[in-house]
Parts: sequence; C-alpha cells; structure tokens
Amino acid sequence: MEFLGNLSLGYQVAFSAANLLYCFIGVFIGTLVGVLPGIGPAGTISLLLPVSYGISPVAAIIMLAGIYYGSQYGGSTTSILVNIPGEAASVVTCLDGYKMARQGRAGAALGIAAFGSFIAGTIGIIFLMFLAQPLSEIAVRFGPPEYFSLMILAMTIVTFLAQRSMIQAIIMAVLGVALSQIGIDIVTGHSRFTFGLQNLEDGIKLVPLVMGLFGISEVLTNLEESVDRTILQGKIKGLLPNLKDWMDSIGAILRGTLLGFFLGILPGGGVIISSFVSYAVEKRVSKYPEKFGTGVIEGVAGPESANNSASSSAFIPLFSLGIPSNAVMALLLGALMVHGVIPGPLLHRQHPDIFWGTIMSMYIGNFMLLILNLPLIGLWVKLLKVPYRILFPFILFFSIIGSYSIDNSVFDIFVMLLFGTMGYVLRKFRYEFSPLVLAFILGPMLENSLRQSLLVTGGSFSIFFTRPISASCLVIAVLLLLSSIFLRKRKKLTPS
Amino acid sequence: MTKQNQVSGFIWLLLGALLCIGSIQLNLGGFHKPGPGFMPFLTGAILVLLGFILMFSGSNGSKVEEGFGVKRFWREKNWKNVLIPWLSLFGYLLLLQPLGFLPTSFLFLFLLFKLTKPESWLEPFLFSGATVVLTYFIFSVWLRCPFPKGMLAFLTR
Repeated sequence: MEFLGNLSLGYQVAFSAANLLYCFIGVFIGTLVGVLPGIGPAGTISLLLPVSYGISPVAAIIMLAGIYYGSQYGGSTTSILVNIPGEAASVVTCLDGYKMARQGRAGAALGIAAFGSFIAGTIGIIFLMFLAQPLSEIAVRFGPPEYFSLMILAMTIVTFLAQRSMIQAIIMAVLGVALSQIGIDIVTGHSRFTFGLQNLEDGIKLVPLVMGLFGISEVLTNLEESVDRTILQGKIKGLLPNLKDWMDSIGAILRGTLLGFFLGILPGGGVIISSFVSYAVEKRVSKYPEKFGTGVIEGVAGPESANNSASSSAFIPLFSLGIPSNAVMALLLGALMVHGVIPGPLLHRQHPDIFWGTIMSMYIGNFMLLILNLPLIGLWVKLLKVPYRILFPFILFFSIIGSYSIDNSVFDIFVMLLFGTMGYVLRKFRYEFSPLVLAFILGPMLENSLRQSLLVTGGSFSIFFTRPISASCLVIAVLLLLSSIFLRKRKKLTPS
Repeated sequence: MTKQNQVSGFIWLLLGALLCIGSIQLNLGGFHKPGPGFMPFLTGAILVLLGFILMFSGSNGSKVEEGFGVKRFWREKNWKNVLIPWLSLFGYLLLLQPLGFLPTSFLFLFLLFKLTKPESWLEPFLFSGATVVLTYFIFSVWLRCPFPKGMLAFLTR
C-alpha cells in the first residue's frame, strides 16, 4: 500500500507542468550532447549546475538525470551514421551500426537502437524502483566501518574495471583522495595544503576539476587532429524495424538490459563497460559470430540496450547508499547537496518527492526520447554537419562560464585550466579519470569514516574485520586485487 | 620497463614523498586519535609505493608506445591547434578582471573563430558578439551571476 502511495506521489511530482518541462529540457540537451562528439554528459551537467541552483531540487535532479540517460540515446546516432561515437558508451555500436547504414539499413539500426534503449531504460527503471528502497533499508544500519569498507570496495571495483592499466587506475584513485584533502580539516580546523591561498580553504571544487579533466582536455586532444566526418547521404528510411529485425534483436535487448543493469550498479562499471560486455556476450551466444562487425543487428541492439539499462541502475548506489558510481552521479550528488538534500539511505523517507519523482520522470523521459530520436532524427543529422571548428570555441567558453558561476570566482577558472592541462598530459600517458573523480568525491567520506572508526576503537583496525558487512567488502576488494594480479600473470605467460 | 612508466612513476613517487613530508608538518596524531596529517600521510605513502611499482613494472598493461618526449607528444599532430586555444584560455584568465567579462569574452571568442576561419572577419565578429550578448543576458541578467566589470565598471555606477 505504501509502495502504491509512493508511486502516486512520484507521478504527481513528475507530471507537474514545470517538472515535465525540465524533464524535456534534460532529455533534449542529453540527446544533443550525445549526438555531438566532443562534449559529454559530465561536462554538460557541470555546465548546467549553476542553472539548477535557481530551480527546485526535484526539478534540478530531473533535468540533470535527463541529460545523463538522454545522452545514451543520442550517442548511437553518430555511431551509426558517421562511424564516430558521440559517447564512449556507443563505441561498439560503430562496429555493426555503421556497416548496417552503409548497406542501406541505417533506419533499421537507428530504430532498433532507439527501441532497444527504450525497452532497456524502462525495465531498468522498474528494477530501480523495486531495489533502491529495500537497499536503503539495509544501508540505514551502516556505521562508519561499513561505509569505509564499502568505499574501499567501490574504489577497488573502479580500478579493477579500468580499461587500461590497473596500477595507473589505482594511482588516479589515490591522487583523487589526495586532492580531496586540500582545504580545512573539518575535525581539527587545520588548513591542509592550501599554501596560504584563501580560495583553497574550502578545497578544490568538483565542477572546475571535472570540466578541466573531461571537458578542456578532451577539446585540446580533439584539436590535435581534424576529424574527418563522412555523414551518410540520402534520406533515412524504415525507422520501424521489421519482424525479422525484432526476432533477431529481442534476445539481445533482454540480455543487454540485464547485463547493463547489474554492471551499472557497480562503481565504475557504468555504461561504457556494459556496452562492451554486451557486445562480447552477443558474439559468443550468436550462431554466426563471424558475421559480427559486418552489420549484424544484434551488435547494435545488445550494447545500446545495455548502456541505457546501466544509466538507470547507476542511480541505485546514489539513492540508497549516497555513494556515486561514476562521475555523472558524483555531479548529481553535488547538485543535491547544494540544495541541502543528502542522498543516501534516508532520502526516500526525508525527500520522497525527489526519490519517487525522479524515478517516475525517467519513465516519461524515456517516452520523450523515443519521440526525439525517431521522428526527429533528421534534426540530429543536420546538427552533425556543424563542424568541430565552430563547436569548440563554444565548448571552451561555456566551460569558463560554468566554472566561474559556481562560486563567482576567477580562481575556479584557473583550477579548470590547471586540471585541463593536467588531463591533456595524462591522456598522453593513457591515464583514465573516472577513478580520480570518484575518489575525489568519496575522499572526505572515506577519511571521516576511517577516523571515526579508529576513535571508537581506540586505534584498533579490528573493527573493519569483525563486523560482517565491513569484512565482506574488504574480502571482496582483496579478492578482486588478487584476481587482477593473477589474470595479468596468466596473460603474460600465454603466448599471443 | 618502458620509459613512459619510469617517468610517470618517478613523478608519482616524488609527489607522494612531498605529501608525506607535508603531512608530518600537519601533525599525524596516532591510531587512537588521528590528526589532520594522518590520512594525507597514508595517501602519500601509498602513492610512493605505487610510483615505485610503476617505475619498475614491465609494462603499463596497454600497448607499449614507441619513443617518448616532445616528439611522441606531438608526433604528426597539429600542435598549433592545441597551443593557441590553450594560450587563449590563459589570456582569458589574466584579462578577465582588468578588462571585464564583456570585452574579454568577445576577444576570446573572436580570436578562436578567426583562427578557424581566417578569410572572414564578419562571421567571427557576428558569432562572438551574439554569443557574448546572449550569455550576458542569460547568466548576468537572468541568473544574476556577477561577472567582473573591469574597465566597463563606470557604466553601472
């Protein structure tokens, strides 16, 4: 009964005129950034954070969430039509999607990507609805030791799932924790690593850091070489997949949905890995794996469903534990905190309008996205023709404004430029930034829970190993680290 | 061991060591009552260890890059395309307070648009002017974000 009451509240919130408008703005901007390579959802959400301060917290989170899941829809369009992924999560869609387009089946590829995304997004939201609240009830019982171990596990998973070197990913996570310690120590009031600069007393702000690492460094990297875009010419026909397309794709969509959902919950798992894993699974279960890469519809349906499902389940750790699973969730956490809302186990009790309103708005957003991505596909194709040389000055300029307007501080522009330069150099060394951002967000919570636990036990670390949840998290973290070392050794021994 | 790993490993090692030194100055406290330097010291020590491992690790797990240094950084790349926008950002940072938001933003955008379309004057002028005016109205007038007025401060007195 309580559940139905919550659903009804969620519908009331999501269907209010203002929230419908913000949901539409969010998914529209999301599709736009998904279509346009060079600016991702993290950069866009950072940019729009100041706008969200002026509206209600529920409207803000509805809009920002819309940008996130909307970008997953838009990302497939460029992959299929231009062979350039609009988003990292759509990289694998290029493999078969672009081949389908070249065979005159762009409509079917775009159609199945949109329908698959819709089905996966909707199923993902249903799972989210049923799982987030029970998980919150469990999380209420968490104390500092459980939170400490959970965060250690989260960071370990992020580094374990790193696409390149694990040691480099761990270094990035440690660097993130180190950066989070700059500023006043909230326990003792000491200034730490501020070098006498008043601007650093409150610590480094998340938005300039994210904009620098993800926005500025990406623009600089893109500017190194002129990207040759060959957009598919001619009218796109047949956006509704035929019966055979559906028969071929439905299994891939459902498998992608389940895979994406579970990988999306994991810190760092998210949309990118889920799409790659889904492609690998589809190839493995296929009767004709050799045809993958030549324009097979399952190669589009599976990954596109997986990344949308993952974008829904990524809200579970944020809403139930208060722990963001990726950089975008970290920004949403920041947005809510600015409004005085603390995401975590008590969110559904203290702010049911935000909890249920956001979930319900995601249903509506998915419908809006289906309309935006199918009948309006021509609009996005036109946008793809805007050259990058026109786009990049806007991206740089809006990044400056986004960083400045958070706190009306020129120093934040400096921070953005510093991290942009650092990010550009680190990209050359093949470092990834997701572990850094996640650790930067979790850093203060990690430190507080460690210090509180040690204060309680009088300096004994045994509390982390004697409490079941904490011990389980640490054991899993150690197993992950050991398995990674074992896998690397085996890879070295196996002749290529 | 790649040269790339050696260099980056050494940088992390050095950074970790500096973090440890800074933490000791902050007061480490003890396990029973951790001080403000406790966690930074722990972080610094882990960074030293990881930097050391990276320096002496066989490969970074990714494809080993041949060559290193400035050449590898900008090999076959159009580095002027990177340097000029970077310098423009730096210039924006320096000029924002003395010149003010409107002139600095206009100059910044005009320069970048002009670079990408050197043959035209009108198009960069219109693009930059329209963007700056529109942004000013959205952020300054509507959202009340107080941008630096700089040399145009007399207009609002």
